[in-house]
Amino acid sequence: MKTIRILHMYADMLDLYGDSGNMEVMAFRCKKRGIECQIDKYSIDSEMPDFSSYDLIYIGGGADLEQQHISADLLKCKEGIVRAYKNGTFLFLICGGYQLMGKYYRDADGNDIKGLGLFDYFTVAPNSRRKRCIGNIVIETKITGKPVKVVGFENHGGQTQGVNTPFGKVLYGNGNCSKSEAEGYCEKNVIATYLHGPCLSKNPEISDYMIEYCVNRGESEHIIIDALDDTLEKECRQVMLDRLLKK
Amino acid sequence: MKRLLIIIGKIIVKLLKLMHRNAGNLPGIVLWHLSRHKAVSMFKVECPIIAITGTNGKTSVTNCIAQLFERSGKKIIINKEGNNLDTGICSMLLKYCDMSGKVKADYLILETDESHVPVVYSQLKLDTLVVLNFFRDQLDRNGEMETLIQKINGFCKTFEGNLILNGDDPNTARLGRANPKNKNVRYFHAEPYAFATEKIFEASEGRFCPFCGEPLEYEYYQYSHIGKFICKKCGFGNYEPYITAKDIDLEKTVFTADGHTYSPKLNSIYNVYNMTAVAAAAKLYNIDQKITDGVINSYTVKNGRMENFMLGKSKATLNLAKNPVGANMTLRVMNEMNGEKELLFVLNDNVADGLDVSWIYDINFSIFERVSRVVTSGTRAYDIAVRIKTAGYDSAKIVVRPDLDKAVEELASTESRKFIIANYTAVQPTRSALKRYITKHGGNK
Repeated sequence: MKTIRILHMYADMLDLYGDSGNMEVMAFRCKKRGIECQIDKYSIDSEMPDFSSYDLIYIGGGADLEQQHISADLLKCKEGIVRAYKNGTFLFLICGGYQLMGKYYRDADGNDIKGLGLFDYFTVAPNSRRKRCIGNIVIETKITGKPVKVVGFENHGGQTQGVNTPFGKVLYGNGNCSKSEAEGYCEKNVIATYLHGPCLSKNPEISDYMIEYCVNRGESEHIIIDALDDTLEKECRQVMLDRLLKK
Repeated sequence: MKRLLIIIGKIIVKLLKLMHRNAGNLPGIVLWHLSRHKAVSMFKVECPIIAITGTNGKTSVTNCIAQLFERSGKKIIINKEGNNLDTGICSMLLKYCDMSGKVKADYLILETDESHVPVVYSQLKLDTLVVLNFFRDQLDRNGEMETLIQKINGFCKTFEGNLILNGDDPNTARLGRANPKNKNVRYFHAEPYAFATEKIFEASEGRFCPFCGEPLEYEYYQYSHIGKFICKKCGFGNYEPYITAKDIDLEKTVFTADGHTYSPKLNSIYNVYNMTAVAAAAKLYNIDQKITDGVINSYTVKNGRMENFMLGKSKATLNLAKNPVGANMTLRVMNEMNGEKELLFVLNDNVADGLDVSWIYDINFSIFERVSRVVTSGTRAYDIAVRIKTAGYDSAKIVVRPDLDKAVEELASTESRKFIIANYTAVQPTRSALKRYITKHGGNK
């Protein structure tokens, strides 16, 4: 089987709320199956990589200050990332990474941070820094073909609007906007979400969807990856589902 | 008006006492409302106030500084752990003030929550502010780290009293530039210890110069983002230390500062930093060297901070970890010890812990050495189990017991060296469970 190549962007700046844990989960689940997984890092002033050569590009979330730091650098990568996306590279985006792929992010003072404009959505921060969507969240996604309940933790001020194809339906928590029905954004090769936790830690179906996608990228025959023993992960999720959904 | 508020406050304290209840925060909360959120403004404090703030180590440093003065024969007032918000400080002062709100003491030594420094000391005149470090801690309560630092920085802009800052933490050292007119800024610093690294080892904040945005360069990291840093562009980090910890030897548990050798009871790099802060305060207030020696060399902690128990024949060390830095500290101590050991990790997600448990992914579990078994417990027992599994630890050796008594029984079922990590609201229940076990099955508490 081929080696999966992942590019983790701004790992040194956007790793608030354990987001780097998602990469640990991906590496762990590949290793368990004997799939080679190479994770490269890109940060400000790194040499411009060949984005299309990667099967997956990952961007986590960060504090406002860090997001401002990287936004100019990210714009420099625009062409490469757009080309990679069109070439079928998977984009996995959390929180700030999610926001920055949209048209713009309008901060609490009304200043616009330009996004990459890869997708049509945009994000507006409320004018009070106190109004944040914070708490446990449960969504149901059908990205894998079957409904899967995904549990995570959201902590964002920004309200993201203009999403036509959300990642999932909110069963508990806020989602894209305060008390909204939809969470995140997705396409066949895009998962953009506010879910920290880290998101993949107790939602193995999502990691495996991406791993299977990466394994099959550029292959003619469809490869199905082995199942793993996820008893612990599923019990972990069930505890939270029982707590949050059953009143 | 102020007099009336004091009387009301004192009556509440008395009533609570009659009901055999500890005053705690309640009188302060009532006065906070009645005084339109200026709960400490009605007190008249004429003596110097020393405040200690930072993410980790506040309680230890506050207690030690208080002892410096107490052993010098001064009358001091100190707030108990947990009462470090404006309302808690108000409740405490109510007990000590007279009817006019006058507080009589030689010194007030106040542990102060990071986010409450500006609130409290815009109302009370502060003589010295000691800032230990800023780490990620209960982020969802405080908002993001930067907001917190900005708040304290805003306070420091007009503050002209003494600032004692950890010069090895860029998050705290930057406060030294907030008010260029303040000539009373002092930094404490520590030379590298045996486990200092050239590269960063644990997740951290503050990698960029807050003044010019350049990446900070480190000569060495002691732990997390604490170490000798410099901004090559603007020179941030280039300061003359007021006091420096040298010749740090954690095996012999000694270090020197200002040519003086100390042999503290606790052997961790974290304690060296805390005690260097204490030594800096002692130097500033001209405390007799013998008294400083006595305080630094005898200080030890209970209440789940590196506290030892005997579970049957097995020695167990319990440590509180409110954040990744605290947990990494216990893991380091555990790893630096020979022989097989077992770990119990108790993780809760109550409001005081921060509802978000994702910080456990910033704990470096990949360094596990000779750990034969892991037991997990608490309201998030499964989350910590999954986290340790993901780090590559054999899941067959992980036992999940959400119930604490069952977890302690499980842990004690084998004879080996035990380490226990518990987060904020988990510590006291864990201590109780350990004591219940010992009462039932034997050992020592």
